[in-house]
Amino acid sequence: MKETLKVHFQFSPMAIRILLLSLCLSNLYASSSAVASSSQTATHTNNWAVLVCTSRFWFNYRHMANTLSLYRTVKRLGIPDERIILMLADDMACNARNKYPAQVFNNENHRLNLYGDNVEVDYRGYEVTVENFLRVLTGRHETAVPRSKRLLSDEGSHILLYMTGHGGEEFLKFQDSEELQSHDLADAVKQMKEKGRFKELLIMVDTCQAATLFSQLHSPGVLAIGSSLKGENSYSHHLDSDVGVSVVDRFTFYTLAFFERLNMYDNASLNSLFSSYNPSLLMSTAYYRTDLFPRRLEQVPVTNFFGSVMETIHTDRPYRARKRKESQDRIRMPLKEAVQDNQQRRLSDPEIEVRRVQAPEDSIGRTWNSLQNKMKIFEYPETFVYYGLVMMLPLLAVSTWLYS
Amino acid sequence: MELLPSASLFMLLLLSLLIFLPLISIGSVLDGQVEEKFTEELLLKPLPDRKVLAHFHFESTAPRTQYYGRHHHLFPKAIAQLVQKFSIREMELSFTQGRWEYESWGGYDPISSSSAKPPGVELWAVFDVPVDQVDASWKNLTHSLSGLFCASINFLESSTTYSAPELAFHPASVNLRYGTLPREAVCTENLTPWLKLLPCRDKSGISSLLDRPSIYRGFYHSQRLRLRRVKIRADAPDSDTVLEQTLTVVLQPNGIRSKESQSSKRKLHPTWSMSSLFGRKIEGRCALAKSSNVYLQLERDLVAEMKRLKEKRKFFDISVLNEDLIENPAFEISIKPDLVLREVLSSQNESSSLTYEYSIGKSASPNTFDLSFTWKSPVAWSCRKPPLRASRFLMGSGNERGTIAISLRSMGPDEGLNVSDMDKERCVLPVNIFQVVPWYIKVYFHTLKVFIDEKPMSVLDAVEKIHISPSEDKVSPGVMEMVLKLPCGVKSATITLEFDKGFLHIDEYPPDANQGFDIPSAIITFPNIEASIYFDQEITLKDLPLLSSFQEKNPIRYYTEVLLVPLTTPDFSMPYNVITITCTVFALYFGSLLNVLRRRVSEEERLHNAKGKSGPLSRLIAKLRRSKEIQPQSTTTSSSLFSSKLILKIIMVAAIAICWQYLSG
Repeated sequence: MKETLKVHFQFSPMAIRILLLSLCLSNLYASSSAVASSSQTATHTNNWAVLVCTSRFWFNYRHMANTLSLYRTVKRLGIPDERIILMLADDMACNARNKYPAQVFNNENHRLNLYGDNVEVDYRGYEVTVENFLRVLTGRHETAVPRSKRLLSDEGSHILLYMTGHGGEEFLKFQDSEELQSHDLADAVKQMKEKGRFKELLIMVDTCQAATLFSQLHSPGVLAIGSSLKGENSYSHHLDSDVGVSVVDRFTFYTLAFFERLNMYDNASLNSLFSSYNPSLLMSTAYYRTDLFPRRLEQVPVTNFFGSVMETIHTDRPYRARKRKESQDRIRMPLKEAVQDNQQRRLSDPEIEVRRVQAPEDSIGRTWNSLQNKMKIFEYPETFVYYGLVMMLPLLAVSTWLYS
Repeated sequence: MELLPSASLFMLLLLSLLIFLPLISIGSVLDGQVEEKFTEELLLKPLPDRKVLAHFHFESTAPRTQYYGRHHHLFPKAIAQLVQKFSIREMELSFTQGRWEYESWGGYDPISSSSAKPPGVELWAVFDVPVDQVDASWKNLTHSLSGLFCASINFLESSTTYSAPELAFHPASVNLRYGTLPREAVCTENLTPWLKLLPCRDKSGISSLLDRPSIYRGFYHSQRLRLRRVKIRADAPDSDTVLEQTLTVVLQPNGIRSKESQSSKRKLHPTWSMSSLFGRKIEGRCALAKSSNVYLQLERDLVAEMKRLKEKRKFFDISVLNEDLIENPAFEISIKPDLVLREVLSSQNESSSLTYEYSIGKSASPNTFDLSFTWKSPVAWSCRKPPLRASRFLMGSGNERGTIAISLRSMGPDEGLNVSDMDKERCVLPVNIFQVVPWYIKVYFHTLKVFIDEKPMSVLDAVEKIHISPSEDKVSPGVMEMVLKLPCGVKSATITLEFDKGFLHIDEYPPDANQGFDIPSAIITFPNIEASIYFDQEITLKDLPLLSSFQEKNPIRYYTEVLLVPLTTPDFSMPYNVITITCTVFALYFGSLLNVLRRRVSEEERLHNAKGKSGPLSRLIAKLRRSKEIQPQSTTTSSSLFSSKLILKIIMVAAIAICWQYLSG
């Protein structure tokens, strides 16, 4: 009986949806074009990065090493310190357990000290809480909070949000005592969008079941990458026997391996970053959600988020009103990177899949969702079945007649 | 200075005569002003326990006049803005890791009483604002400093963490606020902004020695920032702002391998040099510094010990006359000092400490300066110990109550109190104790007991002054300030206070609550005993802030240990456990209850028997009835046994299937 119901329901949404699509196509087209034009008004003017390590305690050394590696990478690629909000939940560099004081390594070979002479930690220790994290994102601070602790982005900003720690289905633990839920994250992002705090936002999460953290996101301009799917764990890469703990996580390790080959002037696209993740090396499946992102990933250079490379507009003469340049990115893609992105996509949740399919016309999806909710109110599936049955009988007759 | 006439000309064009007049008066003030000044100094001192003390001292001075406004050449702008915005009269901020060993590293000298600090962050500030605005200024200041120094100083904003001492803290003022964070981590990110305040940063000069890993490998490091507003002349309209930055490090030299036997090597102190301690050398002076000096200080006791050693070796006849001990049998210094400063003592029977001065840039090799210190024969000496050794500990057991005890012990008959001029009967040694206790440690101040030489004393006899502000839950900490009067020949003195442990709200526990809670260090001051060193060469000291700070009359200050109090910590997973267990119990209860109620044993038996007798078809039907998930397509042929409802459903499914096939095909 269950099966029959399901079949019926899966059919009917499609039919109704086709109907809906045909009915209000013009209206939707208008609204979606309006959204597109509003996101295009602001040009990409600056880059920000919010890097969060949410784990306390020495055995979570690798999370701090992850965050500091990303910090080093974005600094190397050109985001200045005043535009990086670094949150570290514990002190590992000068921890009494650390054999190498004031140094943090992300590799056994100890070739690179991540905790160099010029690290600027904005939130540390007990300050790294869900509350402070959400305050940073939404910009709702007390008046006394200094500028260095604020995310002062605007509607032309590209923001990289990197988080690492321990997590689970739709949550990320902070300091082993609080949780950030996917709803909280989505609400904060929505608020940021409404306040014009970003143009495009890349959320990168390295935690177990990271993909589930993105399930509530709805705001346009958001791109999300997670280290693992629902039901998968994210593992550490290797153990450093001198330090005594694991020093880096797999997802971050291979992300860094990708970035180590790049410098500020490279044109590698986000797509090539995403296709560089090998599930057998990660021991989890990297998931990325692109349905909210307006541009094609092949056309987005990684330095748009991980660096601070602005589009330069050549003007013949100073002080002349420039014509608005159509955003047309010309990115040369190396041949080896031209891997079809579909190969990498692994989908766990049918719900997410449905949402992905309806990505281009987001407002259709929204209307559709509301309609579905209304159908849920329709409480008695039994009667629904009987009505359907009655409707089916003539169909049955027609079909038998046709076949005969 | 050259800009001034042109600037005033420009102003003259723009402004009317009315504005022009005061401009001249400002210009006349300007003539007498001093310029901004920066000095860098480093003091090295061998310690008796085979370690080396390095004390960096950087000082910038900015004259604050109407004209100078917001422009600075050397003085850090960030600090100048702080002073201006929050009207700070005096401020001290320190970041410390490790504990200062008062007994082996000294407790009687200016360095230990000014630069030995409690672990974590300590901040105090005196504001030049009306009394009712002090708290607001303090809050804003903590936020600004936390942004500036990458630390969570903003936790001092909450009124439960800071206090306003009135009696026992040194610069007594109504506008003083004091707060500590005992568990604040101190690392590179705190040192780097501190170094950025220096005009040469860590690129050249003495500060280039500061290699992060070697500093943080040390036993103790304390980085301090002190701001003062000083009036150079009494009639000066404005005061100078003096920024004093010190970094005190106690390092263990690795010891360059010598060929001596194991036994003598054990006694011999390890040889060290600047490059072995820091891994770097001084490459010339900071070009912006007015003076750039390195000092090597030898303790009184060490000097006396070496003189004794010298007298023993008769064949060193020539150098007996040599009072400055540059050539001696105990150690060898690689570079000859430019100047030897001798301490001036009140009594003649002691030997005075020696300070060797080296000016960077003027020494023989101008490019690199690497002082090395080689021990030749084993020497044992001891530092000047504090008058009384203080320790603080907890008594009692359990999670309900306890007792805090502060014990002061004399360091022995020869050390400590110099009571030369008065008789021991009437002599009184005042001791100030300043103790802040967080609100969740509920101290009962009426249980204060004083023991002197292990005999209980009445509080009225032993305590000269006392000031107590009891704690208020979640509002303010408990503060106890008292002036004890102890007899000079005191062997030991102890004060005890009983307390109850409070409960925190579940949100107030830190993530690592099981580690325990810290009670900040108590400060013990000996107001009548000054830690200062006077030198015989007065003239040169004006430009040497480190040495002139040694001559300041500062009382000896002593910080006790931080106490770790375990509080009752709830099991934070308890609600979850309770829910799980309750649900399990309920499920078991209701499950079995329903089972008992619904089950009809006789009927089941009958059915079972019937099943055994019936044919294969009916058995199949029975099975189908029970499990609904089996696809019903296969059973379309079976007829009469089904209920009408089931038939309807089957027909419906068939219809859907056909329809689907038709539509999709």
